[in-house]
Amino acid sequence: MNEEYITIYINDKKYKVKPDQTIMQAADACGYHIPRLCYHPKLSIEGACRVCIVEVEGQRNYVASCAFPVSDQMRIQTNTPQLRRARRDIIELIIDNHPEDCHTCERDGNCELQRLASSVGIRARHFDGPRKQYEIDLSSTSVIRDPDKCILCGRCVRMCSQIQQVHNLTQAHRGFGTVVMPAYNMPMSESVCTKCGQCINVCPTASFLEKNYTQELFQKLNDPDLVKVVQFAPSVRAAIGEAFGIGAGRNMEGELVAALKKLGFDYVFDTQFSADLTIMEEASEFLERVHNNDKLPMITSCSSAWMKCMEQFYPDLIENISTCKSPMSMQGAMAKSYFAGKIDVEPKKILSVAVMCCTAKKYEAARPELEFNGMRGVDIVVTTREIAWMIKSAGIDFVNIQAEGFDNPIGLSSGAGTIFGVTGGVMEAAIRTAYELSTGQTLVDIEVEGVRGLKGIKEGSITMEGQEIRVAVAHGLGNANKLLDIVRKEPDRYHFVEIMGCPGGCIGGGGQPYPGVNSIPMDENMLAARAEALYSSDRKKTIRRSHENPSIQQIYKDFLGRPLSKKSHELLHTHYKKKLPKGIVPEAAKI
Amino acid sequence: MGKEYVVTLCEGPSCIHKGSRRLRQLLEKKLEKHGIAGKVRTFLSGCLGMCAKGPIMVINPGYVIYGGVTVDDVDEIVEQHLIKDNPVARLTVKESHLYNRFFRVFGDAKFFGKQMRIALRNCGIIDPESIEDYLSLRGYEALAKVLTDMTPEDVIEELKKSGLRGRGGAGFPTGLKWQFTRAAESDEKYVICNADEGDPGAFMDRSAIEGDPHTVIEGMAIGAYAIGANKGYMYIRAEYPLAIERIQKAIDDAKKHGILGDNILGSDFSFDVEIKLGAGAFVCGEETALIHSIEGYRGMPRPRPPYPSVKGLFDKPTLINNVETWANIPVVIIDGGDWFSKVGVGKSNGTKVFAVAGRIVNTGLVEVPMGTTLREIIYDICGGIPGNKKFKAVQTGGPSGGCLPEDFLDTSIDYESLAEVGSIMGSGGMIVIDEDSCMVQMAEFFLEFTQSESCGKCTPCREGTKRMLEILTRISKGKGQDGDIEKLERLGHMIQKASLCGLGQSAPNPVLSTLKNFRDEYKEHIYNSKCRAGQCKAMLSYLITDNCIGCGACLRACPVDAITGNKKEKHLINQDICIKCGKCYEVCKFDAVAKS
Amino acid sequence: MVTPLDIIKKKRAEAVSRIIGKGYLSTKRVYVGMATCEIAAGSDEVMRVFRDAISKGGLTDVYLSQKGCVGRCNLEPTVEIIESGKNPVRYGLITPEKAQDIIDRHLKKGEVITEWVID
Repeated sequence: MNEEYITIYINDKKYKVKPDQTIMQAADACGYHIPRLCYHPKLSIEGACRVCIVEVEGQRNYVASCAFPVSDQMRIQTNTPQLRRARRDIIELIIDNHPEDCHTCERDGNCELQRLASSVGIRARHFDGPRKQYEIDLSSTSVIRDPDKCILCGRCVRMCSQIQQVHNLTQAHRGFGTVVMPAYNMPMSESVCTKCGQCINVCPTASFLEKNYTQELFQKLNDPDLVKVVQFAPSVRAAIGEAFGIGAGRNMEGELVAALKKLGFDYVFDTQFSADLTIMEEASEFLERVHNNDKLPMITSCSSAWMKCMEQFYPDLIENISTCKSPMSMQGAMAKSYFAGKIDVEPKKILSVAVMCCTAKKYEAARPELEFNGMRGVDIVVTTREIAWMIKSAGIDFVNIQAEGFDNPIGLSSGAGTIFGVTGGVMEAAIRTAYELSTGQTLVDIEVEGVRGLKGIKEGSITMEGQEIRVAVAHGLGNANKLLDIVRKEPDRYHFVEIMGCPGGCIGGGGQPYPGVNSIPMDENMLAARAEALYSSDRKKTIRRSHENPSIQQIYKDFLGRPLSKKSHELLHTHYKKKLPKGIVPEAAKI
Repeated sequence: MGKEYVVTLCEGPSCIHKGSRRLRQLLEKKLEKHGIAGKVRTFLSGCLGMCAKGPIMVINPGYVIYGGVTVDDVDEIVEQHLIKDNPVARLTVKESHLYNRFFRVFGDAKFFGKQMRIALRNCGIIDPESIEDYLSLRGYEALAKVLTDMTPEDVIEELKKSGLRGRGGAGFPTGLKWQFTRAAESDEKYVICNADEGDPGAFMDRSAIEGDPHTVIEGMAIGAYAIGANKGYMYIRAEYPLAIERIQKAIDDAKKHGILGDNILGSDFSFDVEIKLGAGAFVCGEETALIHSIEGYRGMPRPRPPYPSVKGLFDKPTLINNVETWANIPVVIIDGGDWFSKVGVGKSNGTKVFAVAGRIVNTGLVEVPMGTTLREIIYDICGGIPGNKKFKAVQTGGPSGGCLPEDFLDTSIDYESLAEVGSIMGSGGMIVIDEDSCMVQMAEFFLEFTQSESCGKCTPCREGTKRMLEILTRISKGKGQDGDIEKLERLGHMIQKASLCGLGQSAPNPVLSTLKNFRDEYKEHIYNSKCRAGQCKAMLSYLITDNCIGCGACLRACPVDAITGNKKEKHLINQDICIKCGKCYEVCKFDAVAKS
Repeated sequence: MVTPLDIIKKKRAEAVSRIIGKGYLSTKRVYVGMATCEIAAGSDEVMRVFRDAISKGGLTDVYLSQKGCVGRCNLEPTVEIIESGKNPVRYGLITPEKAQDIIDRHLKKGEVITEWVID
């Protein structure tokens, strides 16, 4: 057989396609977009929604094109009247069990179900009946679960169990009463949920949403007694354009600074500054561990979902975790100490806001372990999605806005701080600084290719002072799982490990904009474009190493003294403890 | 004269050689001649294991075994035994060893006369907890034979020759399934016995395991040998404690005898069986859901292909068959595919076990050759409908089978014929419905079951069956609307064609088949507010007729004081208060309360 | 070489002799249905009556065994009595009291209690 291509017929038109693929994949390649709902290219084939059914000659029933493989001489119909009617009936059944509150729904205009219903032409209801009625779960600081909106496509369940391997969400009960919930119907706050928000990213409707702080923030922005300080994360600037119809991959840093000013913030700072600060502390901590023969590998601690994950599933590795706070929390601490001193304002008068690509940062900001002097470093965290909405809601013309620069003294950053937003970025930034701190020489070839890219687990090594330093990087908690199982088995294999909770790192965070029309959540090309926005920004900078950032040098000179000083420890470091949540604790935590 | 007999003739190779076929031809001719052909049923069995004394003929009731029968003896047997009920002493075989083969049960000729027992051949005959009883009946001989002189390919060839098809419902050719699983390349393979019997009123698997657990194990071991597996799982529902206990004992005993475990019977084949308990989800009878359940996940089906024969348990090639299929395997091996293929009809070979329930005199478990008609099972074997009620419908194939009216009673029981008339073989549930049952309610009952047992994964099954049920409930409550029938059909056909697994694909069957065969009843409900069976309370009213003598019994029985009337005068039911509980109807001794 | 078939045939011969050793060739064999359905109908009590009769009541020359369900659900519990040279007798709807009667009348005196017989 000439195995390169096979012949299939789609709607009686002949096509040559590759074998070993599904009907849906083949149809996509031939230019037919078969309607779909539960399908996601990164997740296992569920075959649940039955929206993508097609007719295949010789098959008694309709087949789900997402699951059924093509074969030579297969005759496929995607659009016959009876098939269209069946598909419409199926989507109508979903809608008939879905709240009729589109106008007041947070995802109005951004909802896959709406688009799907419109695309198959649902104009009347035939099977009206009672709808599901559940309590909305508002318990979590980060992720709201609204089962009424759920259409049981199972994407969140698969995301949570297959990509993130947290196994928090599952279908429970049967038939019409099926509902997605944490084990034992635990509130999200008490479950094993790591707050990564990937369920929100893949949900086609509004069944999962971030806890929304926009109203509270609008309120506080109008409080004349407060000094309003805001920071935003590297990956926010790489993605926020998408929320305004600008294609993925445009760095909107200056535009966002300007918009935040227009929203009423007094000072706009850059989380990338404290990313540099984090590198100073973390690289020093790493070198200290190496020199003192302390616990290795050292594992990064910037990702808040990973922090939660580690405390519940990997408490045996607590000693391996860097004590550094995340850049967001370092920035918050600096705003309410160093900066408050600079402008001579009582720290309590400062409203510290963070705009993050992340839902777990809302949880992190509320962690009591991160408080200092009885204060939280960050008072309010909003996601990229929330801030985009606020900008729109306030009537700010983001697309045509005149870019502005960050405020000082905690607004300047190096290229190392920029790449924090991409998986491998922290490692790369740390290597740039650690190399120089330890060898006294400047690392020339600073782009560490081994830790770049979207491969699940990446490895690399660098020689410092004649010693080979082996590093590893994982992004997405499922990959982290695999990497840490290696670490548990072979504790000496690596010296330094970077873990990011979300696929792609922060650029793929749970708070990033919803996909636009015809795009897929967590699409690989989109993630790559966001990453490139940050890498190109790094390349354009003259200062690309954290320790060369003059603002960083200044802050150590004026305020902190040196990395790992007493003051650093007070403000920039934290601690962890084993926390086993209620509900089922997966295999990993059986220690 | 008038006694009914079953004559079993051994058709093992040795008896054939000694002329058993000629005997049968002659016997049938004689029966014809004497006009008793209708009273005496002849019947061929596989080798009865008494080859030295062949040809063997067994006559029941009486359990009389004749050996060394020749053509010259036939006249005497017919005239003396079958006509005069006087067994021919000189031909009887003395009981020198154990004759517990399945023909023993034919003593109960009315019930068993038309049955043929292959899967249940030892059920009700041996002590299920005794491996010795099983061994004495050539137990594990099939396995030993396979290990001694059959290659896996031979086994599969024999199975293909037998024409055995999956008894779990779909009827896929078993030999092919084995062949596919054998052909799949993998370092590890599994066999699974699906004993997650969940149809309401069905208990074929439970009885088979409780009555003869070793047969299933032997079948599984042969399957494992044929496909190249060393590990088997028995997935059995947790609600069957005795069956679990017995299968566990059987596994333990087999291990003690070296029949399970490493190097079975001195061969280099090793095989072990582990019991996994189902947690009570009907959908776990679906093979991919069952596999998920064994793997420790929520029991939800997944799309096929890939089929389990390629990618099954733990993603390894897996051979999954149900209890009854496994129980047939040893017989196919011992008696041969050729013999097996002669039982049955058309493309459906062998026998099928049914659990007959509902409005029927002899509820019970029957195993009949394929090709037996529904009428034979209902009227001949199971004794018809009690109380001289009129037959209305029979539902085959469990909660997702179709309801067939009287016109279809002569339908032959085989996969194709049942499918043709809009029902299914299913795993063997058979529910008989009489004139007192309302077909709308029947459909509602079955759909209620399947929709509540839906796993909730795919939209048509989860949402569609619920909407169908709502419409049915509305109709039976007297609130049916114009267009409801069409909606039911539209939804039903869509669910059949678009659902993910067999549960959804077959769930609308009871509704669609009653809509087809009993459409008038639906129309009466919707347009005339009438339930001809008098079952739908919303359409029912109780009236007191002129037969009333005013005894007051109904008045006292009425729980809501809806009945008024003076003593010795005709009473009256206030229809606004009446809750239609039927108490008055029950207590009236004068036939003075009428339903309408 | 000893084949699996040889081994199983040997096992069968041993099994048969053990069954006979347990009294299989006694003049009367009594089988009591003991599947879940039979037990639910009360067959374990019936079984107990037979066991007691053998262990305490001086009932001898009887081989007692349990059996699975034969399919006659509406007539359970069932008891089957097989005597060499006689028609097998199958009783339906047996209670412990009836079981005692079967012991006293059928097993001890050879009287078939026709009204309980399934025919």
